[in-house]
Amino acid sequence: MPKRLTKVEFTNLDKILFPELGVTKSQVIEYYIRIATKMLSILADRGISLKRFPDGIDKNGFYEKDAPLGTPSWVKTFKKYSETAKHDVNYIVCNNLDTLLWTANLAALEIHMPLSRINSYENPDLVLFDIDPEPPANIDNAVETALLLKEKLNDLGLLPYIKTSGKKGLHVVIPVIEGYSFAQTREFAHQIGKQLTKESETIVSELPRSRDPGTVFIDYLQNSHGRTMICPYSLRGQPRATVSTPLRWIEVKKGLRPEEFNIYSVPKIHESPWERLLEKRQNLGLR
Amino acid sequence: MGKIVGKKTEFGVEIGMEETEKEIQENTTSPKRPIWIGSITIGLVNIPVKLHTMVYDKSIAFRFLHKKDGQPLKYQRVCIKDNKVVPWEDTVRGYEIRKGEFIILNKEELDAARPESDQRIRIDKFIDYLSVDPVYFERSYILTPNKSEEAYRLLMTAIEKMGKAGVGRITLRIKEYPVILHVYKGALVLTTLRYAYEMVDPSTLKELGGLKEPSKGEVDLAMKIIKDLSGEFDINNYQDGYKEKIEKLIEKKMKGEKIIAERPVKEEAKELMVALQETLKQLKKQ
Repeated sequence: MPKRLTKVEFTNLDKILFPELGVTKSQVIEYYIRIATKMLSILADRGISLKRFPDGIDKNGFYEKDAPLGTPSWVKTFKKYSETAKHDVNYIVCNNLDTLLWTANLAALEIHMPLSRINSYENPDLVLFDIDPEPPANIDNAVETALLLKEKLNDLGLLPYIKTSGKKGLHVVIPVIEGYSFAQTREFAHQIGKQLTKESETIVSELPRSRDPGTVFIDYLQNSHGRTMICPYSLRGQPRATVSTPLRWIEVKKGLRPEEFNIYSVPKIHESPWERLLEKRQNLGLR
Repeated sequence: MGKIVGKKTEFGVEIGMEETEKEIQENTTSPKRPIWIGSITIGLVNIPVKLHTMVYDKSIAFRFLHKKDGQPLKYQRVCIKDNKVVPWEDTVRGYEIRKGEFIILNKEELDAARPESDQRIRIDKFIDYLSVDPVYFERSYILTPNKSEEAYRLLMTAIEKMGKAGVGRITLRIKEYPVILHVYKGALVLTTLRYAYEMVDPSTLKELGGLKEPSKGEVDLAMKIIKDLSGEFDINNYQDGYKEKIEKLIEKKMKGEKIIAERPVKEEAKELMVALQETLKQLKKQ
């Protein structure tokens, strides 16, 4: 008998989770196996939330912050009072392949992560600009906005990273040095957004205008304690099994098609544009 | 199994009603020895035959032991009122009519109701062998001629040529069975059948009502797949994996090797293991 490669006992592998593409749970697990090396370094040491689709994406999925009943003892958890849930939450911490495969086996297609790590929970290590186009604005408008944002951040001496959200938007992220509070990073993102509204008619920086047709909202509000971002390389519970995919800036141009980055195509990408992301932590120059 | 006591019969051992067909098989050590001698009766024709065991249950059997000292455990009949052991001779048979309420049937009454074994396999008619669905098949026995080679051979040749099988009855021990008499590998084989009342009619399952008619395209595709996978039946393609593993385990234990219990990787998970191996290699490098 071969030596066991994982502690996880896979179940219901033939279950179809993406009916439109006929993608089974087995394929989802294989995807996470193949993407794990790129994913784990960013995912590590965070209290993650799962969005599970046990009956496939055509049935309602559900968010799960608390480690579910039956969580094996080898899965690391992290207890923290949740402002939104109003009670202590036992977050799952995904620091290794086994845990990632265990969540995949739970049909947790989506993995959401906070912008800070458990050892300094109140201090973000990432700043997020969530670029969210409102129809009829589309991905081309989001790309335009992302490029303006990049230019602005470059002018400040910062090197941002970008990924698709796996839905209709883009996420721009800056890894930051230790010590900032969420209030500071939130304010920073908000100010940048405000400045960009002067450079484009479509960009809005305030939540109340974010649903105005044809606008692109630079959402800064996720830069808060307990809020999350879809993890880079996480699948999305979308019909085309799309992936929130880190991109090189050179790829971010008119005609970008986020739906082309999916469960089949992403494992074939060799580059890993977010490699060593957390070794490139930057000073926002705040006082 | 309880300790078996009783007189030997041509079936092996008789202990009364609790003896099951399985025990009959276990006590019949060789197919060479017939378990029943009688004759096939077709109208006025008699063909004397012997009945031999054909099916042996070779699944792995365990005995319960006392965990503390490894001693075998035995079963005893204990009265639920005073918890005392009751010997066989003090037992009677009861039929539970309501929870906890019994009607006692004594040995004479039960014996009177027993079917008389007249040592005959009575064939009522001949049918197309393939018209009997295998769901009815219970247990098969090999028939050999009993100084009746010519008649045996004749019957076998005729029904084989016509693709027929005989249907009739046999009384084995205390139960009458419907049977089918057919030809298998140069022998007449008797297979007992289940009664209709023992079977569930699939139409009583509501899950099967209102299944949607598939489209022609789907049916064509399914038929193509079936055609591609068509082949000859060969039972040797199938092995009892559990039995083999347990036997290996026993072998190892006999050699005194230390056993580490491992749960098997499910068949369907095996392809994932290839990817997993690659990723584990990469993770090690990081």
